[in-house]
Amino acid sequence: MATVARPDERARALPPNIPEANIQLPGVDQYQQVTDEIARTLYPTGAWFAGLGVAVVCMLIGLGAWMWQVYMGLGVAGYSPPVMWGVYIVTFVFWVGIGHAGTLISAILYLFRAGFRTTIYRCAEAMTVFAIMTAGLFPILHLGRPWKFFWLVPYPSWRLIWPQFKSPLVWDVFAILTYLTVSSTFLYIGLLPDFAALRDREPRPLRRHIYGVLSLGWRNTEREWRHFARAYLFLAAFSTPLVLSVHSTVSFDFAMANTPGWHATLFAPYFVAGAIFSGIGMVFTIIIPIRRWFNLKHYVTLNHLDAAAKLCLFTSLVVGTAYLTEFFIGWYGGNEIEQSFWWNRVYGQWWWAAWIMLTCNVVLPLTLFWQKLRRNTTWLFTLSIYINLGMWYERFVIFDPSLAHEFEPWQWTAYWPTYVDWAILLGSFGWFAMWFLLFIKNFPVVAIAEVKEVVPPVLRVARPVEGIEVTGMHLEFEPETPGERD
Amino acid sequence: MQGIIGVFRELDSTVDAVHALRKLRAGDIGIYSPAPRHELEHILHHEPSPVRLYTLIGGLAGATFGYWIPIWISDYWPLVVGGKPIPSWVPYTIISFELMVLIGSLATVAGLFVHARIPRITMTVGYDPRFSNANFGIWVECPPERQAEVMTTMREHGATEVRGER
Repeated sequence: MATVARPDERARALPPNIPEANIQLPGVDQYQQVTDEIARTLYPTGAWFAGLGVAVVCMLIGLGAWMWQVYMGLGVAGYSPPVMWGVYIVTFVFWVGIGHAGTLISAILYLFRAGFRTTIYRCAEAMTVFAIMTAGLFPILHLGRPWKFFWLVPYPSWRLIWPQFKSPLVWDVFAILTYLTVSSTFLYIGLLPDFAALRDREPRPLRRHIYGVLSLGWRNTEREWRHFARAYLFLAAFSTPLVLSVHSTVSFDFAMANTPGWHATLFAPYFVAGAIFSGIGMVFTIIIPIRRWFNLKHYVTLNHLDAAAKLCLFTSLVVGTAYLTEFFIGWYGGNEIEQSFWWNRVYGQWWWAAWIMLTCNVVLPLTLFWQKLRRNTTWLFTLSIYINLGMWYERFVIFDPSLAHEFEPWQWTAYWPTYVDWAILLGSFGWFAMWFLLFIKNFPVVAIAEVKEVVPPVLRVARPVEGIEVTGMHLEFEPETPGERD
Repeated sequence: MQGIIGVFRELDSTVDAVHALRKLRAGDIGIYSPAPRHELEHILHHEPSPVRLYTLIGGLAGATFGYWIPIWISDYWPLVVGGKPIPSWVPYTIISFELMVLIGSLATVAGLFVHARIPRITMTVGYDPRFSNANFGIWVECPPERQAEVMTTMREHGATEVRGER
């Protein structure tokens, strides 16, 4: 909850530490300011058009590569038996993982009343939806006949053939579609009051009409807010177990198979922690340029980034523990095949990928123990790029060395992605960036109504009303922390 | 529908005005706020939102359907393996869970729409664009003979603008 620091309190130099997650916005003190400053981000600039152009070109490169693959067959994707899952499954899991931090920030931190989520959750939520949209393409890209993808869905066909509900691939279909639907719904419901605010201030008739339709006639009545708050709470409560279940289900794609390196009960929590870690990395990649370019530093303060960096550090430690546990069980289990596999993973043909993974995901995030680095946006952005890289390689290291180094030594083989794989990977980033760039210029990147909740309202006389301290806030006064004004 | 709409700048003025208007018993009162405020929620003393019932019913229906469809499909094309029962409860729980979340979430949204009365086609009466921006508002639906005293009460409690609408 925000409040305004008193001058005498501000004079006392407090160490820049945050005792709790209730981060405030001293640079924002009026409702009008909130609407004006956030709505100002909606006007496109030359840099935005340039970025959109690059994203579309990348997407078209990926689309061209996919069309070539459809024409030529899956052989152009670099598969060589027994490695029949390559970059596509790696990138699928990567993008599903990216989506998880969005739900963590928007739903789980909402249930925990973590104030630092308020100004970053909209970006994270949008990131979730677009990441799942991107991830959902890859199982289809991976099909030899992609136009038959709907066979995975249970529908009454004339052949009377139904999907196999004991297969993790069918669980995936249900999990991903549910996740996409619920995440999109959560994002849209949260946007309703903001659409109304934009509708009421928009001078351009067409955009005003579009915002009017999207707002569903929202009028900011007490009745609407009351039911909205309850519905939002339950959507958050549903999203919380959903986010844990989706990546667990994705991990079952591998853990259910009797393949060295895959067949482990550790996989579900390991995947969930990794997903949240990678998603927070992507949140930094997105939010740090946005706060700079849109001049939103007094909304997404250093304290917000500091708190998110702590979450990043924690999930990195969980992921590091999972890596060590895998190695330990490989050695301690006494299974020669597992031991051979693990040796190959770290010192074999893909040793460099394993070490990129360990360096980016375990070693570099340890720098976040230093507060100066947690509050250094240049370092956070750089680290986030390393985390994205490291998490993509984590999935590569998990999937392909296992398939290439199974039980029979005569089957051991090599795998290397082809130009089609790389082009489609590039295209996925272009697809994701295109949607995100379209989002940030048409919808508010910071939640207008939720920020107003933490801004003190105008009062005629400061006094308690209806049993609640209306000194502007519901919470007690807290001193300003250095750095909030950046 | 006709009544009086008042625009307020301050939160405490709005709360005071609602108290006074409730004593007046001139008609149904609606409050507008740019952001959800507990103070405004408390003064009208509404019952808890029934949206949770939609969530419960939707969740239970989704979970039931999520078990029913794979069990029905298993029985429809039975493959007996090792004399074990045809439906496999454990993997079907995943389908059930996902559908519980899906149907429960959509039912929650349906509950929100029903009780918040959205989507709303027209919003010409009893609304001001300032309510989504920085101002609070009160709408009192009342007959013409009570409108004068409602307007006076609103002005006495700090309304920056008061007008009749129909």
